[in-house]
Amino acid sequence: MNRIYSYLIFVPVMLQAQWVNYPTAGVPRTADGRPNLSAPAPRTADGKPDFSGLWQPGGGGGSAPVAGGPPLSPEFGDIAAGRKEPLPYRPWALDLRKAREADNGKENPDGKCMPLGMIRMHSHPFPRKMIQVPGLIAILYEKGVDFRQIFTDGRALPKDPNPSFNGYSSGKWEGDTLIVESVGFRDDIWLDGAGNPISESAKVTERFRRPNFGSLEIEVTVDDPKAYTAPWTVMLKQYIALNTDLLEYFCENEKDASHMVGK
Amino acid sequence: MRIALVVSFSVATLSAQWFNYPTPGIPRTPDGKPNLSAPTPRGLDGKPVLNGIWQMNGKYLQDIAADLKPGEVPYQPWAEQLFNSRRNGAGGRSDPAAKCIPGMPKLDALPYPFKIIESPGMVMMLFEGFTTFRQIFTDGRELPKDPQPTWFGYSTGKWEDDDFVVNTIGIRESTWLDNAGRPHSDALHLIERFRRRDFGHMDIELTIDDPKAYTKSWTVKEDLRLIPDTELLEYVCNENNKDYEHLVGK
Repeated sequence: MNRIYSYLIFVPVMLQAQWVNYPTAGVPRTADGRPNLSAPAPRTADGKPDFSGLWQPGGGGGSAPVAGGPPLSPEFGDIAAGRKEPLPYRPWALDLRKAREADNGKENPDGKCMPLGMIRMHSHPFPRKMIQVPGLIAILYEKGVDFRQIFTDGRALPKDPNPSFNGYSSGKWEGDTLIVESVGFRDDIWLDGAGNPISESAKVTERFRRPNFGSLEIEVTVDDPKAYTAPWTVMLKQYIALNTDLLEYFCENEKDASHMVGK
Repeated sequence: MRIALVVSFSVATLSAQWFNYPTPGIPRTPDGKPNLSAPTPRGLDGKPVLNGIWQMNGKYLQDIAADLKPGEVPYQPWAEQLFNSRRNGAGGRSDPAAKCIPGMPKLDALPYPFKIIESPGMVMMLFEGFTTFRQIFTDGRELPKDPQPTWFGYSTGKWEDDDFVVNTIGIRESTWLDNAGRPHSDALHLIERFRRRDFGHMDIELTIDDPKAYTKSWTVKEDLRLIPDTELLEYVCNENNKDYEHLVGK
């Protein structure tokens, strides 16, 4: 009994030592000193909203990560979870999703330590840090110690980009909304755990808004005429994580994939 | 004739893959070429600006002591013994990079380009190799007392005259200093001095301070060049890592 009790004490102490605990600078506060998450979004020197910060997917909270992690965003499992209508699949795309399900997700890139691609990363439960500098927004992902670049220097998208997981992204402002267009995706990306696909013809448009200090809205439109009969849109929300930082997560010990069942 | 065809085809394929985007703000010679010997750019605070896409001289990945004379690396006996056991490819399997995990300080020395981005409170390094990043905090914070050991460690940076000085601790002891297999311990403290000599050239003076593995600290100087008018590609090591099974070692 004594031993079990000691373990219980010991575990929380270990966890505390693992999280990076460093006060976030520049947080607006209420009169009683708590973070004021509904304060206006900060702005950069050029007057545009500043998306810089550490973000986690989901509806809200604003606290540091809790033991066990935040609840999974439903879109991580199925990107269409928040939609009333099913995705407008081409027949082959629906067949591919069904085949991936029937195969128990054995070919899910996540199970093979492969990158997930920038759409699925929006709903991945681990935090990501956005850094906005002139001409560029970088997104640093805890998951896989991976990154994505969004160019905001007005450049055109490449005509024949090398297919990649994160694509090639260029953004421009419309008022307080950053509109990011991306092309150049691989055709083996899974948009979610269900295995919804995209093809190399996909053009993805993201509309980033920061309605207040504590929250970020990312409206994602997938225009992929090879895989879907019409463009479709989902809203993926994120909330700010304070007083912590990215940990280093390498998928270094993936021993499950070879034992998974499937076809 | 067939060989000639194959060769010209490969070249065409490659040229479609590289990004060709003129880097803004690069000084150019009258014929439009980047002037890489132009003066070091400086920010409003007068300090050198390190932003840009850089590529390390490849020899330091193979041998971090390439410019030192034999006997100049002050090994502790166990470290020299371990190094000797790893040389000539023996033990390559125990290098974490063989399993697609780069570590410091080898990360800086990868032969692929990396991008430095200065932002308020933090300098980022985005690496094409392994598509990964380092954060170097410049907001005045202290190094943590008992950091969780990681592959890249925990880094803070500050300016000393024209040198950007980065201190890093908390590096997992299983990383190698170079492909030759020089080891370190969990006591490793790295000091990198980034020195941009002119527009197109930078040195990293790297000091290995690790009293458990080396009898005194030792320093090497690695040189980098600016890579203009391009961008980082995506590099996915886990996709096609077929070497590991063929490496020898434990």
